[in-house]
Amino acid sequence: MQESTFNEIADLALRHSGQTFQPSKSYLMEARLSAISRRESFATLDDLVHCLKARPNKRFEAEIAAALTGKLSRFFGDRDLLERIVTHALPERLKVSKAGRLRIWCAGVSTGQEAYSLALLLSEIDETLLKGAEIEIVGTDISTQCLEVANRGIYGHFDVQKGLSIQRLMRHFDRMDTGEWQISNTLRERVTFRRHNLIEDASSLGHFDIILCRNVLSGMAKTMKVKALSNISQQLLPGGLIFSAPGESLIGLQEDVIASMDVRGGYLRKQKQGKTAAA
Amino acid sequence: MKHCLIVDDSRVVRTVAGRIIRDLAFEVSEAGDGAEALKLCRERMPDAILLDWNMPVMNGLDFLRALRREEGGKDPVVVFCTNENDADHIGEAIRSGANEYIMKPFDADIVESKFAEVGLV
Repeated sequence: MQESTFNEIADLALRHSGQTFQPSKSYLMEARLSAISRRESFATLDDLVHCLKARPNKRFEAEIAAALTGKLSRFFGDRDLLERIVTHALPERLKVSKAGRLRIWCAGVSTGQEAYSLALLLSEIDETLLKGAEIEIVGTDISTQCLEVANRGIYGHFDVQKGLSIQRLMRHFDRMDTGEWQISNTLRERVTFRRHNLIEDASSLGHFDIILCRNVLSGMAKTMKVKALSNISQQLLPGGLIFSAPGESLIGLQEDVIASMDVRGGYLRKQKQGKTAAA
Repeated sequence: MKHCLIVDDSRVVRTVAGRIIRDLAFEVSEAGDGAEALKLCRERMPDAILLDWNMPVMNGLDFLRALRREEGGKDPVVVFCTNENDADHIGEAIRSGANEYIMKPFDADIVESKFAEVGLV
């Protein structure tokens, strides 16, 4: 790939999703765009960029930016964290919630495994722990292609054997004739998926008690990271928690987002003085 | 070091699985069918058994049922590793005392993930 091609694509990614690419990662760019490039019959990414420059196409650009984001997603990717949320963070939130309605946002959910893992855990826990709670799980991603997979809830032979015990696989999935596995309707009904770009305002999603944003911000340029975290934290209810991936610290990105003293790995939004918390 | 017995009539599968499981810091031994595996277990009970289903002489399910009746035979963690991937087979394996179940084909990630599910790694 020519250097100018790399620069054009890197610039496009930055503008659309805030994602940044080092020149040493140009192979990642090529790998992630190979399907689109093939579909559109471009021999090389150089050709693709030439065409895009000659005939700018916002929709195609957005599709490219979405394809460039990472797709790393597996069931129970961070099991400890998910269990902590379900057995500790949610019951704590329930205590202060007036209507018993709790909302979880999986930001950058890719093909949905994280959201379904939470739904699965919620279906298994001791009922008394979250008695009377009505829990909504919303998964968002920039990629409509990923969201299609998430909505169908159909996963391959290799996907369902990583992070899931055989008992969970049997209990919560149905084997299809194709050899793939579909997550049960009961769990699918617990989760909704919506397209959303984290560098854009998220107020249409409403407010949340728990926000998971794992392995998403780390790929972004610093200024975009700040912007994304600002958008995300705007949607956090007072006393709610944001979780990032281990090694992905949110400290110092935004003044009012601070580490939680109560829940390991969690971040909360410092309340402005004089403002009363209202859930 | 924990000890894992790999039971499969395919030498290729035993070799591939053996490499993966050695990388997880196990000592590995091999058997080509259920009868040979049972003999090895009587000599020295392993900590883990990776078990194929369809094998000559004695199949994996018969081996598992026999193993669980042996002295100390309830101790090893048994992970089926087979081409049988329908609910009936999986259910029967679990009811007969299997702890986990891998559907072939598998890779190192799957073996590690399944071993983690049953506390082996």
